Amino acid sequence: MASDNLGDYERVQEEGKYSLEADIPTITFTEIGKRGIRRMDGYEKASGKAIYTRDMQLPGMLYGRVLMSPYARAKILRMDTGRAEALPGVRSIMRYDDPEIEGRGLNGSYFAPGWVGRQLKRSGLVEDELEGWGLKPVRPVLGDEAWYEGQPVGVAVAADSEDIANEALRLVDMDWEELPFVLDQEEALKPDAPILRPNSDSNLLEDPRQLLEVGDVEKGFKEADRIIEFTARRNAHLWAGAEMASVLVRWRGDNLEMWLREQQPYHAKMLFAEWMDLPMNRITVHSPYMGCSFGERGNPANNPSNGMNILAALFSKRTGRPVKFLYNRNETFFGESGDMMVSYFKVGAKEDGTITAVQIKNVFAVYMCTPGIEHFIDNTRIPNLKCEAITVDVSKAAAWWDRCEQLPNTFCFTLVFDHVAAELGMDPTEVALKNDGYDSRDTTHLSKYKSEHGFPDRDSLRECIKAGKKAIGWDEKWHPPGTKKLPNGKMHGMAFTWDHAWDDVRGTGSAAILIENDGTVSIIGQQADIGVNPWTAYCQIVADELGMRYQDINIKPFDLDQGFALMSPDGSCNLCSNGIVLRKAARKAKKMLLELAAQKFEDVRPEELDTKDRIIYVKSDPKREKTIKEVVARAMPMFASAGYWSEAPVIAWAWHTHGVWGEALETGRPRLGRQSHFIEVEVDTETGTVEVSRVVNVNDVGKAVSPETVEGQMYGGSYLGVGRSLTEEMIWDGKTGVLLNRNLLDYKYATMVDYGPVDAIFLETGLGHGPYGAIGVGEATATMMPALLGPAVYNAIGHWIDDFPITPDKVLKALGKA
Amino acid sequence: MKKFSHVNALTIDEAVSILRRYGDRASLIAGGTDLLGKMKDRILSRYPEALVNLKTIPGLDFIKEENRILEIGALTRLEDIAIDQTVRGGYAALAQAANRTASPHLREMGTIGGNICQDIRCWYYRHPNNRFPCLRKGGGRCYAIEGDNRYHSIFGGSVEEGCYAVHPSDTAPALIALDAEIRTSKRTIKAGDFFQVEVTKTTVLDEDEIVTKILVPRPPENAKSGFVKFALRKTIDFPIVNCAALISSSEGKVSAARICLNAGYVKPYRASRAEEVIVGKTFNEADAEAAGSAAVSEAKPLPHNGYMVQIAKTMVKRAILACG
Amino acid sequence: MKEAMSKFLCPYCSTTFGVFEELKAHAISDHKTESVPAPEGLIRLTVNREVHEIQVEPQWTLNYLIHDRLGLTSPKMFCDRGACGSCTVILDGRPILSCMTLAIECDGTTIETAEGIAKSNHPLLDSYVKHHTMQCGYCTPGFITTSKAFLDRNPNPTEEEIREALSGNLCRCGTYPQHPKAVLEAAKNLREG
Repeated sequence: MASDNLGDYERVQEEGKYSLEADIPTITFTEIGKRGIRRMDGYEKASGKAIYTRDMQLPGMLYGRVLMSPYARAKILRMDTGRAEALPGVRSIMRYDDPEIEGRGLNGSYFAPGWVGRQLKRSGLVEDELEGWGLKPVRPVLGDEAWYEGQPVGVAVAADSEDIANEALRLVDMDWEELPFVLDQEEALKPDAPILRPNSDSNLLEDPRQLLEVGDVEKGFKEADRIIEFTARRNAHLWAGAEMASVLVRWRGDNLEMWLREQQPYHAKMLFAEWMDLPMNRITVHSPYMGCSFGERGNPANNPSNGMNILAALFSKRTGRPVKFLYNRNETFFGESGDMMVSYFKVGAKEDGTITAVQIKNVFAVYMCTPGIEHFIDNTRIPNLKCEAITVDVSKAAAWWDRCEQLPNTFCFTLVFDHVAAELGMDPTEVALKNDGYDSRDTTHLSKYKSEHGFPDRDSLRECIKAGKKAIGWDEKWHPPGTKKLPNGKMHGMAFTWDHAWDDVRGTGSAAILIENDGTVSIIGQQADIGVNPWTAYCQIVADELGMRYQDINIKPFDLDQGFALMSPDGSCNLCSNGIVLRKAARKAKKMLLELAAQKFEDVRPEELDTKDRIIYVKSDPKREKTIKEVVARAMPMFASAGYWSEAPVIAWAWHTHGVWGEALETGRPRLGRQSHFIEVEVDTETGTVEVSRVVNVNDVGKAVSPETVEGQMYGGSYLGVGRSLTEEMIWDGKTGVLLNRNLLDYKYATMVDYGPVDAIFLETGLGHGPYGAIGVGEATATMMPALLGPAVYNAIGHWIDDFPITPDKVLKALGKA
Repeated sequence: MKKFSHVNALTIDEAVSILRRYGDRASLIAGGTDLLGKMKDRILSRYPEALVNLKTIPGLDFIKEENRILEIGALTRLEDIAIDQTVRGGYAALAQAANRTASPHLREMGTIGGNICQDIRCWYYRHPNNRFPCLRKGGGRCYAIEGDNRYHSIFGGSVEEGCYAVHPSDTAPALIALDAEIRTSKRTIKAGDFFQVEVTKTTVLDEDEIVTKILVPRPPENAKSGFVKFALRKTIDFPIVNCAALISSSEGKVSAARICLNAGYVKPYRASRAEEVIVGKTFNEADAEAAGSAAVSEAKPLPHNGYMVQIAKTMVKRAILACG
Repeated sequence: MKEAMSKFLCPYCSTTFGVFEELKAHAISDHKTESVPAPEGLIRLTVNREVHEIQVEPQWTLNYLIHDRLGLTSPKMFCDRGACGSCTVILDGRPILSCMTLAIECDGTTIETAEGIAKSNHPLLDSYVKHHTMQCGYCTPGFITTSKAFLDRNPNPTEEEIREALSGNLCRCGTYPQHPKAVLEAAKNLREG
C-alpha cells in the first residue's frame, strides 16, 4: 500500500508496526552509549525528594485498611462491627454485605473478567470470562469466605489514622468456620483432597496453554544414546519490592483523582473505570515514583492493586475525603510470590551432546507463568519437544510474575542442558553450541535470517561463551564433579547456562516530542517508574535523534494520563519498544523542525538541512547555521498571538507496537542474540553452606544506550536470581496453612556482603529488533540465575539437589550428614 | 502502634519502683529493637500500658577495665563493644559476638543489656496478631513440634517440656564462655545461671529486676577466646547456631575449656562434654571434631532440624580451633 | 514595728506588698518563678540544623515524626521491623533505624536525613548520581545516610569496610556493586576538598 493513499489514522497504524529489518543507526551517537551521564532521576532519589505513593498525604486524608484472613481457608459465620464503628476516629466501615460491594469480583486480568475477558470469550479464546489463564479463579473484592491466608475478607475501614484503622479491625468481632485446605499442588490432585473452589469437582485449573508439542518425542528417544530422567522442584519465592502496596484516591465532584502504584497506570484506569462504571475521561491518574516493581505491580487483577483501588475509591466517595489505602509489610506476602512448580524431565541425547528429545511435565501451583518448553523452541535445534503443563489450585494466594514470567522456561532449560552435560561428562558450553538454533533448525537458518534482514553476521552464543569463559577462567578451572577441594577446605564448583537474549519484546506505546520555545525538548507521555531507569535512555535517544544534548531533554512522566502512555500491559518494553516510540517521534519532530528552519533560511529545502549540537546547518555549506532556539522562538504550543506573530508548535507524536503476546516466534522474529552466565561456588561440606564466590553474566544487549543502566540491571538480576535459589523461600505451616516467615528478617534476601564479585559483561552485536539493534536486559539475568545454582552445587559435591532453594539442610542431606 | 504511656526513668530505683507498681502492665525499653517489633506485631499476651525508658538513666553506658575485670554498662551499644580496643584485645569472643549481632544499624541501637534479655524468635510465637496461642503465651501447646521446626531446639524443650524455641542471643554464649557475671538492681548472677525459660520469660530476672552492668573477668594470659556463628546471611540474621569458646593452653595442650553453644537450645547450651574431651588435647582438626561430636552427643533433633546437629558440631569444632 | 513587719519586699525588683499572697502572685506572674512542668511529650530536636519543638505522642516512631509530620520523605518505610535500613537517619552521629525508635525518646538529639545531607552539598550525592547508584530509588536515602555517618567516622575507607558498613541496607533492585564505587569516590572528593 503506498503511504500516499493512506488516511491519517491508517498512516499512524502503518508507521507504528514493528519491522523485521535490522535497525541500522542513521545518526551519530553522541549521547547514546556514553558513560558518566547523570541519571535523570538520580538526585531526586538520592536526596529523598522523590515522592512515592506511600509518601503522599492530602489535606483531610483518611487511612484505609482491610482485614486479611488469618486462616488458609475459612468462612465468616458472624461478623459484628459495632465496637469498631464506635471507635473515635473511625469514619467509615465497609462490610462484605454492603450494597456497593456485595457479590462483586475483581476485574482486570488480561484474560479474565472485564472487557478484555469478554472479547476473548466472544472470540473463543477462553471459555469462561471469569476464569483466565491460571489466575486464582474466585476473586471477590471483599467476600465472606477466604481461599488463602492473607486474603482481604469481610471488612474494611477508613479512619483518621493508620493506628485507628488497625485498632478498628481488631475490634471487629467475628466467628469463623475453618475449612479444609491443601498447600501442595500434587496433594491437591489426589482424590481425597478438599475441593477448594465452589461448584467444582477438581482443583485442576483449566488453561488453554497446557500442551505444547513439536516433532515426535518418542522418535527422539529412540534416536538417543542416553535417556536422562530426573525430577525438580521450585518452591515459592516472593517479590517483596521496597515500597508496600498503597493507593491514594480522591473524588472531586464527578471526577476522580488517583495516585497509583501501578506499572500500567493507563491500563489500571481503564479497568477501574469499568468496575466503577465511570467515564474514563473523568478519571485522572497520577503515577509517582514507584518503589521497585519489575513486574510485581504489573498485575492489575489482584487485591493489592485492583481490590485496593476499588475500596479506596468507595471509601472516598462515602466520606467525601481523600483516602489512602495501605498494606503493611506482612500483608504484602500474599499475591506477590512467583509460581511454584514440580517438574518431571525425560531427555534423550546422543554421545556427542546432540539432544534429540525433551519431554517435560510441569505441575504448577495456583498460577502458571509459562509452560516451560518455549525456550527449547525459540533457542535450540532440538527437533522433538513435548510439554504438559498443568496448574492446580491450592490454598495460597495467586502467584504472579516478577522479573520475569520466563522463570519456568529458564528453570527447565538450564536443568535439562546441565543434566545432559553432566550425564555425558561434557563441558556444558560444548553442549550449548551443539544445540544452538531455533524452531528445530540449526544456526545456518539464523545466519540466513540475519543476512536477509540486514543484521550483522555474528555468532552471539559463541561470543558470549568466549567472553564469559575468559572472565571466569573457565578453561583453567572447570573440573569433573566433586573433585576440587580448595585450600580453605571447601569444595569448589562452577556452572554455566545460556539462553537467547530477551529480544521477544512486545508492547505498545505512544509519546510526543515538543520542542519548547527556548529550544529545549519535552517528552510527553506517562510512564510508571518500574526501577530500570528508562528515562535517561529516552533522553539520550531523543538528544541524538534531534542533534541536541542530553541536558536539553526532559521527561515528566508522572501526571499526564491522557493519550500518551509508555507502558503497555505487555510490560517488558521499557527500551526496546518504547525506545522506538521515542525515536519515531523524535524523527517526526526533527522533520518539522527542519521544515520550519527551511522557511527561516528562505532559500533551502528542509532535506538540505541537518542538526548537530543544537545547531541547524546547511549540509552543503555548514557555515550557514541557525541555533534551534532561534528557529523555534515563535513556535507556540499553548499561546495565542498576543499582539504579535506566532508560529505553529514543533510537536510530533508516534505510536509503536512491537507485537502481541502469544506463542513463541509468532512475530516472525527469531531471537538472534544470546546470553551466557557463569557461577562459582564454594560448598562448606561441614555446614552445607553454599557460598557464591563469583558471578559472571554475559548479555548480548545488541546496543547499550546507557551502559550503567545495563550493568545495573545485570547486577540486580544476579542478586535477585541467586537469592531465589539460595536463601529466599516462603515457608508455610503444614498444620494450619499459615505462612510463617512474613517479614523481611525471616524472608531472607541478599545483602551487600553475601556474594562475591559480580561481573556484568555486555556485548553489542546489533542483533536485536529494538532501537539501533538493542535487546532488553532488565529481566534476563534475574530469570537465568536461579536454576544455575543447582549444577554449580552438583559440580562441587557430585550430588544433584534439584530442590530449590538449595539450603544447607538439603546440602547436608545430600552429603549424608543430616 | 497502639497508645501507651511513656516514662523517662532517671534512676534505676525509679524504674524499679514503676515496675513494682505496674507489674506486667509496664515494660522496660532500652534500645527498643526487640520490644517495638513485638508491639507492632501485637504478639504480646499483654500489650504494655506503659514503657519505662532506661536510656535516660545516667551512668549505664560505659566500658572500662579495672583490676582485670571488664565492666560494661547495661546500656552500652553493641557497636561500641564490637569496636572497643580493650574488648577486642582481651575478650575477643565478646567483641566478635557483638560484631556479628544483627546489622550495623541495629548494633548502633541495641544494648548489651537488651541483647541478653531479648525474647525468643520462634516464628509461631512471633506470628503477627498472636495467631498462635502457644505455650510461651500461656496457651495450650507448642506449634513448632508438629509444624516447621527447622530453626528450633535440638536438645529438647522446656516450659513443662513443651516449648522448643531457641535463645537467639549472640553475646550470651560469649559471656558464658568468658564466665561473666550479670549485675542487676538486686544481685549478681553468673552468666551461666542467668538464662531460664518460663512462660513469658527468658531469664531468671524477677519482674522488678533490672540489669545494670556486665562484669567479665580477664581471661588468663594463656587463654584465647573466639566466637563463630552460622546463619543464612552474613549480616542482619539471628544465628541458626553460634558458639563461643574460651580455651587455656600450655605448651600447645588445652588445659581448660569453656564452650557454649546458643540458638540450638531453649537457653545457651554449655557444651561440657566437649570441654571434657578437648582438655589435654592439642589444637588439631581431629580432636576438635571429636569435641564437636561430644557436644551434640545428647542431641534429640525434631523432624526438620536434624541438620542443625551437624552445624552445632561444626560450630564447636571451629570455635575451639579459633582459640588455637 | 507592726506596720513595718507587714511590708513584703520583692527580692527581684524591690516592689513592696502589704500582703504576702500578693507578693507571691507578683513573683509568679512577673518573674515566672513557679516552674510549671513542661507538657508531656513536648520534645526539642534539631533536624538538618533546624530546631523543632514539637508535641509528640508516645507511640509515634521517629520515622512517623520525620516523615509524616515534618514532611521529610527520605526515611522510607520498607520493612517496618528494623531489617532493611531504608529508614536510616543519623542520630547524634549514629546511623539508626527511625522505624524502631520512639520519637519521644529523641528529645535533645541532633538528626540528619538525606535531605540535609543533600542540602549541605555532600559529595555523596554527586557520586551516587554519577554512578547510577540507584534503580527504583526507594532505599537510596537509607544508603546515603548510612554512608554519610560512616564517612564521618572513617574518611579513608577500604572497599571492604564500605560493604561492611552498608551491609544492613537492603536493596531489592540489587544495586549493591555500585555503592562501593560511589562511596569511594565521595570519600576521595571529601578528602581533597
